[in-house]
Amino acid sequence: MADQLLQQIVNSLLIGSVYALVAIGLTLIWGVMNVLNFAHGDFLMLGMFIAFWCYTLFKMDPLFSIPVCAALLFLLGLGVYRFIISKVMKGPGLAQLVVTFGVSIFLANLAVMLWTPDFRLIEKPLLTGTWSLGNVQLSIPKFAASVGSVVVSAAVFLFLKRTRTGKAILAVEMNRDAALLMGINTERINSLSFGIGSALVGIAGAFLSMYYYIYPQVGGLFGLISFCIVALGGFGSIEGAFIAGILIGLVQTLGGYFFDPAYKYALVFLVYLITVWIRPQGLMG
Amino acid sequence: MTDVRKFTVRQVSVSAAVLVLLALYPLAVRGSFPMHLMIMVFLFAMLGVAWNIMGGYAGMFSFGQAAFFGIGAYTSSFLLTAHQVNPWIGLLAGGVVAAVAAALIGIPCSNLRGHYFAIASIAFAEIVRIHFNNWKLIGAAEGLTIPMQDESLRNFQFNSSKAPYYYIILGFLLLALGVCSWVTTSRMGFYLRAIKEGHDVAKVLGIDVVRYRMAAIMISAFLTAMAGTFYAQYILYLDPESVLILPISVQIVLVSMLGGAGSVMGPVIGAAILLPISEVTRVKLGFKGSGLDMIIYGTLIMLISVYRPQGVWGLLQKVGRKKK
Amino acid sequence: MGNLTRRKFLVSGGALALSPLAVTRAFAEGRTIKIGAVYPLTGNLASTGIDCRRGVELAVEIINGKYDLNLPLARTEGIPGLGGARLEVVWADTKGEPKNGQAEAERLITQDQVVGVVGAYQSSVTKTASQATERLKVPYVCSDSSSPTLTERGLRYFFRVSPHDGIFAHDQFRFLKDLEAQKKQKVRTVGVLYENTEFGSNVGKEDLKYAQEYGYQVAADISYTNNATDVTSEVGRLIRANPDVLLHASYITDAILFTKTFKEMGFNPKGMLTMAGYIEPGYLPAVRADGNFIIVRSTFALDLAKKKPLVGQVADLFKKKFGIEMSENAARSFMAPFVFADAISRAKSTEAEAVVKALRETNIPGDQVIYPWKGIQFDPKTQQNIHATGTLVQIQDQQYVTVWPFESAAKDVIWPFPAWKSRK
Repeated sequence: MADQLLQQIVNSLLIGSVYALVAIGLTLIWGVMNVLNFAHGDFLMLGMFIAFWCYTLFKMDPLFSIPVCAALLFLLGLGVYRFIISKVMKGPGLAQLVVTFGVSIFLANLAVMLWTPDFRLIEKPLLTGTWSLGNVQLSIPKFAASVGSVVVSAAVFLFLKRTRTGKAILAVEMNRDAALLMGINTERINSLSFGIGSALVGIAGAFLSMYYYIYPQVGGLFGLISFCIVALGGFGSIEGAFIAGILIGLVQTLGGYFFDPAYKYALVFLVYLITVWIRPQGLMG
Repeated sequence: MTDVRKFTVRQVSVSAAVLVLLALYPLAVRGSFPMHLMIMVFLFAMLGVAWNIMGGYAGMFSFGQAAFFGIGAYTSSFLLTAHQVNPWIGLLAGGVVAAVAAALIGIPCSNLRGHYFAIASIAFAEIVRIHFNNWKLIGAAEGLTIPMQDESLRNFQFNSSKAPYYYIILGFLLLALGVCSWVTTSRMGFYLRAIKEGHDVAKVLGIDVVRYRMAAIMISAFLTAMAGTFYAQYILYLDPESVLILPISVQIVLVSMLGGAGSVMGPVIGAAILLPISEVTRVKLGFKGSGLDMIIYGTLIMLISVYRPQGVWGLLQKVGRKKK
Repeated sequence: MGNLTRRKFLVSGGALALSPLAVTRAFAEGRTIKIGAVYPLTGNLASTGIDCRRGVELAVEIINGKYDLNLPLARTEGIPGLGGARLEVVWADTKGEPKNGQAEAERLITQDQVVGVVGAYQSSVTKTASQATERLKVPYVCSDSSSPTLTERGLRYFFRVSPHDGIFAHDQFRFLKDLEAQKKQKVRTVGVLYENTEFGSNVGKEDLKYAQEYGYQVAADISYTNNATDVTSEVGRLIRANPDVLLHASYITDAILFTKTFKEMGFNPKGMLTMAGYIEPGYLPAVRADGNFIIVRSTFALDLAKKKPLVGQVADLFKKKFGIEMSENAARSFMAPFVFADAISRAKSTEAEAVVKALRETNIPGDQVIYPWKGIQFDPKTQQNIHATGTLVQIQDQQYVTVWPFESAAKDVIWPFPAWKSRK
């Protein structure tokens, strides 16, 4: 019994760190321009498909497609910001919420049209197999994805705190008008943030493609969970998103193990609701 | 732009003409699809109007209306199948249960703003869906099947023609419009708008923010649940996947936003545009399986959000005025 | 309402007057008979819906053409009872939603004048679609939805050709008993794992029922969300419960996810008896050798061709037309058009009551179907095909091999399930 507990905790951390990476991208966008990108899960899906096609067409293992996914999603983020999001920024809040739903529906069905609804899997990734550490079985691809997510999250954190551009982003997040007064080009920061946020979820997609199946609607549940994580962590807070991601991984897996697997996502949503009642701005917002 | 205005002769005559046309529609069309389409339009118009009371007017953008829709549908259907309670009574019961649920979730959530409220509403609706999916008492994933009974108004079931369903949902829609109109022109409506503009300002002015927000949520939930019962009696089968899913909540918001959130008639226009597009593209393009119909739908949403976020109703009003 | 009754009278009077005309028209050449097909052609289950469509399309091609196959109406062109009239399918997309199932069935009947409906793969959609056909008094022949409840509703116009999940669940337990009796492999405990939509939970219910009936102890009873991001919790509970045999009802995505997680976390029951998802065409390419030794319920397997050459002939035709192997889904949907065409031909009419009467009298012999059934005959009360049975296939060397019933097995079943770590 004890060894299953350890196994469950280990796996919670593995899935939690990937959730965290997905959420960080979302919270960056949200923090900078107060836009909740409902298409975030679909960006994840695109990241996974890019990794898949790199594998199928160019024999690139997902590990090597990471930069490709990041770059393409970055460009997509820029494009979506410039041609769609920036135009609703001045409009009513509801339009901002709804437009990304349109993007989501569009992307998911574009994927259906281009690639059919069939499920794809990367059949022979470089990283396969399991390490046996005592009584815990550690899946190598999941471990790699998890480590990768932590590394990338840390990199983002450092980027924001140490580089000039990063600090500019944080400044806009904190107080848009003040940042403007300080001479920061907030439009440029917006596009950059949207691009970076999208690139991050593209990387998460490359990681997931190492062991998860890929299809046009795969973004749904991941996206929904990432919204809860971001709101739980406090919008705009990278550290908050990371911690919340791990937390949700634990709630989901341990909750499913001890209570009832059929309710594990309900527990995730319940934890979110309870936290937000007690502390509306999230853990670190 | 407020809706608090006296009704002009023109407005009354246009409304009367439209109502007469709608009343004659079932006699003019043949086949089940045109009827089904209009029933769906009225259903979603009603859902949009209900949403508007808390969303468009009070600024609480709920993306979880499906929870109330499902609660209404399930309450009346469960009472009917397990306890032979008449569906009309079940309708009222469903509304009450939904209103209570709305109050329960509303109290803690009434302090949440914007995005937080939206996500909380999604979380709430998903919890309801997951729970209903596992709750054996109400059929869990298998859902509930409403047995075919003799058709009558009393039984809320009609088999030989869709026309009675058409008139009932039209009646419900008019009721919802009436409630919404009353809310907006009453003091409550004024307070709700004040709350929407500035939560803290409203508090300073002495408005009992929580009380009015709760009222809005509960009224909205009641009406949404009524629509749920209608759906159950129309389709005669429901399961969590058909009444409690996120796409339904999203469609409700879209209908209101497209038509014009914050105006009484907005959702009606929104439904009149969006539902035919989604139904017709599915019929004409869906069978190929290419997803083209949904691509069109998604594009439309983006276009409206960017170019006409205040909805189409404003456009129509402008056109109407220009004609003078 | 007075308007309606008058209209009804005129309509029925007119119909009576025109009916001799209708009969003579039936014998004219070049007439098409339209059947409606409702399937999820877009949405989450689209790949399955399109797979089912292939089965229906091949069936219609065979019926309309002249093929030297021992299938009903294959050797003649079109429907002989109506002078060679051709069968045409009108397709409708349900998007996997029950309300669309109803709307589309109604639309096909009232607008396209289809004389019958087939579909809809998902039991929840078949439910509403067949309620619509019942209201409109049009026959519905279903050969691909497996919920037992469909034929428990007392509908007069609904017929089901294929086995339902109750039968499949029962098969799996009969297999366990046979295994004990004939192969001396004892099983004491079972773990029941199922996805939590209507399909899975029905199977779960049936499994629990038969477990009790046959005297097996249920070590675990786990229901899960079918598009889960991760199944660590579920597999953890199974490992803790340690059942001898796992019974799993899933769709393809969870089948893949669970297989990988079973391997990763080291879940080693003595055997795995599964349904649906494990026999979808996408499963083996995704998991490859990891699928070996898993047993799946089936109505159709390519190796049936050894005992029944008809299966091979049809499978070849399928492969030639579509470029891929015939899957179980396509094979199930394949049969409904034949049942319809056969009934219409015997009734010599497309009029609903005549077709329904003919359907009730259906008696297609076992050698004219591509399954290991004794034939197609409908129970007078439930209108379920009484000869519909399943078989069990086991994945051996990444192929589906029929292993049960033992008398019709192509190969011996490999039991117990070799532990993951001991495989190369």
